[in-house]
Amino acid sequence: MLDTAPAVRKPPGRRTAGRPRPRRRPRFGPYLLIAPTVVVIAVLMFWPMIQIGIMSFQKVGTRQLRGEPAESVGLENFKDILGDPFFWTTFKHTVLFAVVAVSLTMVIGTLVGLLLNKLGKRMSNLVAGGVMVAWATPPITAAIIFTWLFGTTGGLVNWTLDLLPDFLVGGDWLGYNWFAKPLPTYTVLTICVVWQACPFVAVSVLAGLKSVPSELYEAARVDGSGPWRTFWSITYPMLKPIFLVVLVMSIIWDFKVFTQLFIMAGMANRDAFNLSLYAYSEAFGSMNPKLGDGSAIALVLTLILLIVTALYVRVMVRQGETR
Amino acid sequence: MKYIKMAAAAAAIALAASACGGDGGDGGNEKVPAELEVWMMGEGTPEQTKFLDDVETEFKKDHPETDVKIKYVPWPQVATQFQKAAASGEGPDVTELGNTDVQSHIEQGNLADITDLLGDWADGKTLNKTALENDQADGKTYAVPWYGGVRGVWYRQDWFKELDIATPKNWAELTAAAKKVEDEKDVPGIGVASDHTNAIISFIWGNGGEVAVKEGEKWTGKLDQPQAIEAAEYYAGLDDSGKYVGKNELEGPQRDFALGKVGMYFDGSWALKQLKEISPDDADKWAVFPIPAKSGGNAPVMAGGSDVAVWRDTTNKKVSFDYIKVLNNAKNAKAWADYSGFSSMRSDVSFSDPKLAIFTDIAKNTKFPPMTAGWAEFEQAKKVLPNTLKAIMQGGDAAAEMKKANEQANTLLNP
Repeated sequence: MLDTAPAVRKPPGRRTAGRPRPRRRPRFGPYLLIAPTVVVIAVLMFWPMIQIGIMSFQKVGTRQLRGEPAESVGLENFKDILGDPFFWTTFKHTVLFAVVAVSLTMVIGTLVGLLLNKLGKRMSNLVAGGVMVAWATPPITAAIIFTWLFGTTGGLVNWTLDLLPDFLVGGDWLGYNWFAKPLPTYTVLTICVVWQACPFVAVSVLAGLKSVPSELYEAARVDGSGPWRTFWSITYPMLKPIFLVVLVMSIIWDFKVFTQLFIMAGMANRDAFNLSLYAYSEAFGSMNPKLGDGSAIALVLTLILLIVTALYVRVMVRQGETR
Repeated sequence: MKYIKMAAAAAAIALAASACGGDGGDGGNEKVPAELEVWMMGEGTPEQTKFLDDVETEFKKDHPETDVKIKYVPWPQVATQFQKAAASGEGPDVTELGNTDVQSHIEQGNLADITDLLGDWADGKTLNKTALENDQADGKTYAVPWYGGVRGVWYRQDWFKELDIATPKNWAELTAAAKKVEDEKDVPGIGVASDHTNAIISFIWGNGGEVAVKEGEKWTGKLDQPQAIEAAEYYAGLDDSGKYVGKNELEGPQRDFALGKVGMYFDGSWALKQLKEISPDDADKWAVFPIPAKSGGNAPVMAGGSDVAVWRDTTNKKVSFDYIKVLNNAKNAKAWADYSGFSSMRSDVSFSDPKLAIFTDIAKNTKFPPMTAGWAEFEQAKKVLPNTLKAIMQGGDAAAEMKKANEQANTLLNP
């Protein structure tokens, strides 16, 4: 660390001196190497984002898709959506769901990671492989499986709940419709999403744990520290960067959940929409697409995620400074 | 610079002119296309593919050099597929369309004007007049009605016999029948799905209500009228199991009905095929009666169905229309009706299966929803009636919910 300090102080001195460095050669190599990636990312990610930004200030329907010039409507689209109480319902759903799902993912994922670390090598591999299957399941498949599990006719969950004694869970489960109201719909959605996201957290935590020197744990054990104390005094501080990355990624994923909810609630249950589904239904829901409104919603969602990411970068940078 | 600008302006005007009216390219000097792309809606079955192969063989008699390429577009993807087609210019030549989408397509400028071609086609006179009106705007025709379907009430014939229930003729009898089945068989008497605009609308019409009527140039919502509110309340109260809230007939009741877990449900003639697939041996237990109006008689039913049209971007308008002529000639229309269970939109074609004869009867009292480009959004994107009914089924006040629905009708139906 110390040897970098003079380098930081140098530039002002160089500038006041006002003479060019003698052996300065432009180095294109690295830029050439990174250029293809930048171009691909720009085309695939930045351009669509810019396009969405432009479209959110325009009225865009099929005629405009055909090539007719799009009429600029200023802030009209944003006024439309922000003035619609329905937008705030979907906003509320998005945020509440993210808070619950992210918390559960982090807690359960970490616990599974700790468990994996405790297991013997073979068992650990077996269980890790098992949980990775959940991670590898495509969201659409997972969503369909969960809709079946919680179905009203022949659903395994209703059947099981009905077999359990009534004083425990209440009766009349066979015909219970999980997808009629937002709360039970989101309950199923949370189970599905958390089930799929936990393995990633678990395996990341496991990877982190492998890098913690075992002497630390030995010392803790000698000092008589229990598992709770050991976790907060050793594991957590050591794995903090991993937790941060995983946390931010989970937040981004759970804010954007679309596929699973689309399968479970469908277009008919507007009262269970989140922001993504709302944007989709505005933009692509009928033969009269309102791509402008859809883009505006997507832009709002993007802004929220940018704020989250900015906070994350700030934390990361600060962490670097203190070290 | 000036000249360039003028040239650009002239080009723009020429483009606009050709886009609005004439659709350049017809007039007898079209090139013979090597391939005609035809989009059909739905998943496509081996039988359907065979039917379309036969149509192609017949079409090739007149157009030996043109191959027909069929592409199936699943219904849930229809809106996005057409949007892509419009945006990329890589659309079909001929396409099937949901009939409630036609007005939107016309409004969006997706379809070729086929007024003259239809005028020269003798079979055009056999086409259902109301259905054809749905394909017109400003005196021009943009599509041809192909097949349609109406809903009735499917019921368990054997249970009705066993419990001595006569087929309901009015709302009171329908409620009584549902109650009896529920009490005796311990399953919901009738499977009322909240996501079922077609069934809901029949009850509104069957009580003398309307969704909206055209007053001058504007559509005025009528969902806040007592007839409509009463109908919504009645529909929502038909089944209190809550099993079908937020679902449509295919997701919930159809399967349950086939498996003997519900006594009645609303569906069309084409359902017979799907019911048989779910439960192959029970076909003789099922029968159909018309959706009753409140005080008796058949309630008007919404004619759902499909039309065929020539896509605007095609370079072979004439050949495309020739394909439609073959697809919808009397022989093929009959074959299609018998295979699919949908009624033909030709006056000279009817079903062969006696079980489906009742639908011919039901179809005598058809009505169309408001013919406006806004209907697609009202029905599909916003699902106004399904969401209103859902709210009422969950204890919402019918009058208040229908008032909200009516406000949406007023805005959405006047895009």
